[in-house]
Amino acid sequence: MSNPRAPLRRIVVAGDGQLGSLAALAIKQALPFAEVIIIGTPVDNGALADRSPTALPFTNRFHDRLGLQEELLLLRAGGCHRLVLRYIGWGGHDGSGAVQHGAMPYGLSNDASLKTRFAQEWGGGSRSGTEGQSGSQFAGSVAEILAGRGQFAILPSETPTPLSDVDYALRWNPAAYRDLIIERAAAAGVRHIAGEISDTVPDGQGGLSALTIAGAGTIEADFFVDCTGPSAALLSRTAPVKRDDWQEYLPIRQLAFAQPVKPVLSLEDRVSLPQHGWLNELAGRDALQLMLALPDGVSDGQIMDMLGQPPAESISLNPGAVCEPWTGNVAALGDAAAQFEPLGFLNLDLAHRQLELLLEMLPGQVVDPRERDEYNRRAGLMAAGVRDVLGLHYAAPAAAERFGPLKQSAHLKRVLDQSSRRGRIPFSEELPLANQELSALLAALGMGSGLTPLALAEGNDAAEKSRAAFEAKAQAALSAAPPYGEWLGRFLQSNQPG
Amino acid sequence: MSIGQPKPLRVVVLGGGTAGWMTAAGVAKLLPGLADVHLIESKDIGIVGVGEATLPHIRGFVERLGIDEAAFMKATHATYKLGIDFRDFGSIGTSYIHPFGSFGEEVNGVGFHHYWLELQRQGMAGPIGDYSLAVQAAQANRFVPPVQDTSLASSYGYAYQFDATLFGPFMREFGVTNGVRRTEGRVTGVERDAETGDVSALTLESGERIEGDLFVDCSGFRSLLLGDTLDEEWEDWTHWLPCDRAAAMPCAHTSDEIAPYTTATAMPAGWRWRIPLQHRIGNGYVFASSFISEDEACDAIAKAAEGTQLADPRVLRFRPGRRKKSWSHNVIGVGLASGFLEPLESTSIYLAQMAITYLIELFPDGPQIDPRDRDEFNRLVDMEYDRVRDFLILHYNATTRDDSEFWNHVRTMELPDSLSGKMELWRDAGRIEKYSDGLFYDASWIAVYLGQGVLPQHHDPRAALPKPQQVAGALSQLQKTIGDIVTGMPSHTEYLHRQTARMADPL
Ligand SMILES: Cc1cc2nc3c(=O)[nH]c(=O)nc-3n(C[C@H](O)[C@H](O)[C@H](O)COP(=O)(O)OP(=O)(O)OC[C@H]3O[C@@H](n4cnc5c(N)ncnc54)[C@H](O)[C@@H]3O)c2cc1C
Repeated sequence: MSNPRAPLRRIVVAGDGQLGSLAALAIKQALPFAEVIIIGTPVDNGALADRSPTALPFTNRFHDRLGLQEELLLLRAGGCHRLVLRYIGWGGHDGSGAVQHGAMPYGLSNDASLKTRFAQEWGGGSRSGTEGQSGSQFAGSVAEILAGRGQFAILPSETPTPLSDVDYALRWNPAAYRDLIIERAAAAGVRHIAGEISDTVPDGQGGLSALTIAGAGTIEADFFVDCTGPSAALLSRTAPVKRDDWQEYLPIRQLAFAQPVKPVLSLEDRVSLPQHGWLNELAGRDALQLMLALPDGVSDGQIMDMLGQPPAESISLNPGAVCEPWTGNVAALGDAAAQFEPLGFLNLDLAHRQLELLLEMLPGQVVDPRERDEYNRRAGLMAAGVRDVLGLHYAAPAAAERFGPLKQSAHLKRVLDQSSRRGRIPFSEELPLANQELSALLAALGMGSGLTPLALAEGNDAAEKSRAAFEAKAQAALSAAPPYGEWLGRFLQSNQPG
Repeated sequence: MSIGQPKPLRVVVLGGGTAGWMTAAGVAKLLPGLADVHLIESKDIGIVGVGEATLPHIRGFVERLGIDEAAFMKATHATYKLGIDFRDFGSIGTSYIHPFGSFGEEVNGVGFHHYWLELQRQGMAGPIGDYSLAVQAAQANRFVPPVQDTSLASSYGYAYQFDATLFGPFMREFGVTNGVRRTEGRVTGVERDAETGDVSALTLESGERIEGDLFVDCSGFRSLLLGDTLDEEWEDWTHWLPCDRAAAMPCAHTSDEIAPYTTATAMPAGWRWRIPLQHRIGNGYVFASSFISEDEACDAIAKAAEGTQLADPRVLRFRPGRRKKSWSHNVIGVGLASGFLEPLESTSIYLAQMAITYLIELFPDGPQIDPRDRDEFNRLVDMEYDRVRDFLILHYNATTRDDSEFWNHVRTMELPDSLSGKMELWRDAGRIEKYSDGLFYDASWIAVYLGQGVLPQHHDPRAALPKPQQVAGALSQLQKTIGDIVTGMPSHTEYLHRQTARMADPL
């Protein structure tokens, strides 16, 4: 007969940034009878998941599951929508010297179209020349067309609307978001203790039995979740942390953040290649945020030149992932488990997927080593998947030239080869992006893909049909979507609290 | 052919069994202009002609090719299949259905089976099959296709049970209509390029010579090109799957009720299948010749099978395993020519279908084959075979049977690491090692584990948090809803008879 394991009685989450608070809330919801304590030990500045003002569509669904409605993020955390991420110049220049650029949409709705000859010539999202100018009125994905016109809305409807297929990511203000989650967590019964972890007590089995908070005494727990950022304040005390170093795979060693400038409401974010490294431009309701990601050897003067001002903050980066993010009874999430540049906004997405995995595998009072192994196996696949998606960016023509040859995993090599020659993306478990999204990303990065045998065989009639279908879809979406700013304004107005 | 398209590749398919005609039809239909398909088959040699139970994936194949489902069912005397009823596997007297569907739904992120394990511990749960619509419909001999929404009534899939000797000819007609050239004759010689070792032409008994750029070996167990000619290494799995023979024997129906499922009943030296078609029932004893003789097996199936025998038992011989490479030089093995896994989970036609899908994705864009495409094909085929293999081994190893030498062997044999890891995770924690590529996901593993009496030591602590009465109430509500849906379904036989376009003309 199978017996339930004795449930966890007390769980301590260290780090009360936006990740730690969400972890505490989620665990409390999963184990309502357990005591969940969140320790407000300072999260380091280099905790990119914690400072990320955005994630990917997965997070929207995860939020839903945790009862965090999107409306709430719009109303209370400065939330707004991103439909595409535009990559500028990653594909280099075309024959006439114009800069290539392309927009990556989210979701699976680009599937069918990307497989056709039409989509590969028109809908893949890679063009050159002045942005917005292209051969057709309707080029790219529906998301890109909407973003280009600044039109979008969440249409309340039971039945599918022309916008239902358009997936999106949310941006928000991390401090406001974190406060909102902390409030929710407190309402759910999570205890919040401020203070720094001064010591830990090993449990003799590779984990911890308690930790000491300066000024607040000792707290015992069955399970610990480390959301303290790269220093991994708890995990690092279990055993010497073995890490998979990604320095040969990824080039970025430093991030320079500009002083945020005036708000920009846009459905598109951008990442371009200035003189050195790459530059991220993240729109938002409270600021436009510029961030430079740089390899070693870029001088302060060069950074100044690119940002037009000295950076407001700089942090260094040592990319890599912990081999066993769950050790003993301590599980590390986010930057405590993996660190890497915020290219394509994968940091918080990975952290949330790790958290979801932890919820799925939530142990009992006594950790089952096989369950832990399975967690680590899958978390390892997730981390490797992120590394591969980042590596894929650096294989883009202009990026490869700039950042030099980097190591690539066997899977990444396979993806690049198969995509460029055969128009197919080999599947891999636990990847952050679906294959359709990877196709779109490759196109946006200027890495044209080969035609699939099916597309080759289907001939021009089918291509013409897909073009017509796409144009109809785009037209319907445009007719259904109001200007985004107006819609958001109305939405905020009519949902004013009180 | 439109501009930009390369010259069509000359594809020669050797063999006109199920695999050969599926390949030829698929390539000709989906890659017009890219491939010129020529199939060679020999009436004298004939086909295996068994292989009657399928998996839901076959529907995708039929649909993708634009084949009319009704016409296809009529031509092959097909019935619907909701899963497989396994009898006497975990222990004599027990049975369970492995459905094309799941059990219950996860609640608060915890898999349904954890709640079921908890209720079972409290003595408050029925068999797990009570909470699966596919299982309940199968047990009630009822069938309708699933609805197209996200409700409970959509929570299952179906496949077909058809006459294998009719499926090939049906695909032949379809293939020929779609441009496949067909030559009847026995291949007696294989010509190879002196430099590359690639196959360049096949010669027939008649003296005819057929050239090609790409050769698909669908010659069945003979494996004329991949095995005989290229001598591709064979990976033998007899130590894990000792069955190497089958005694097949058709019988007449014994009643008007046609079961919408296949039955697999464990036997002292293997197991036997029962596959109901429109016009007859297929039976066969899959056995290990190191534990029982062919004569004994023929006697056993003749005794065990119900209904009037329509023919004497016919013995088929096979070897479990696969070629280390299914694609070597310019030869691709599809079907029995590339490998064999016994039909315990009806996977052979699926494996052929997968190989065809990958071949189409990786179809050479010229007569020069890129070795990377070949490697990719072989990687994918290996992954598919390995996953199926482990799942099949589970059926034998997860048993308490000690009533014969055969069962003692499979119960105590050493397992592949890839399987023992999965089983340990289940035994300790009631969890399934997750993957999303290949065949057989969580619900299938759970069906076999629980069906064969492998209970984990522990389940998720969260399943014990709600009051047992509350969970029991939810489960009996689910059971009732399932019961209501099943009661609303016609019987499988009735449904078939209503669908006159799907019924074969009376013999
Ligand atoms: C006992 C048993 C039960 C099975 N049950 C199932 C099941 O339930 N579900 C399932 O999916 N699969 C099942 N299978 C597998 C299934 O039968 C095969 O996958 C399927 O029939 C494909 O066979 P094939 O086309 O590869 O080979 P075959 O049917 O053997 O065809 C070989 C072809 O090659 C031709 N050929 C051979 N040599 C030459 C030559 N020299 N010259 C010219 N032509 C030649 C033959 O004439 C024939 O046309 C079962 C198999 C066995 C043995």
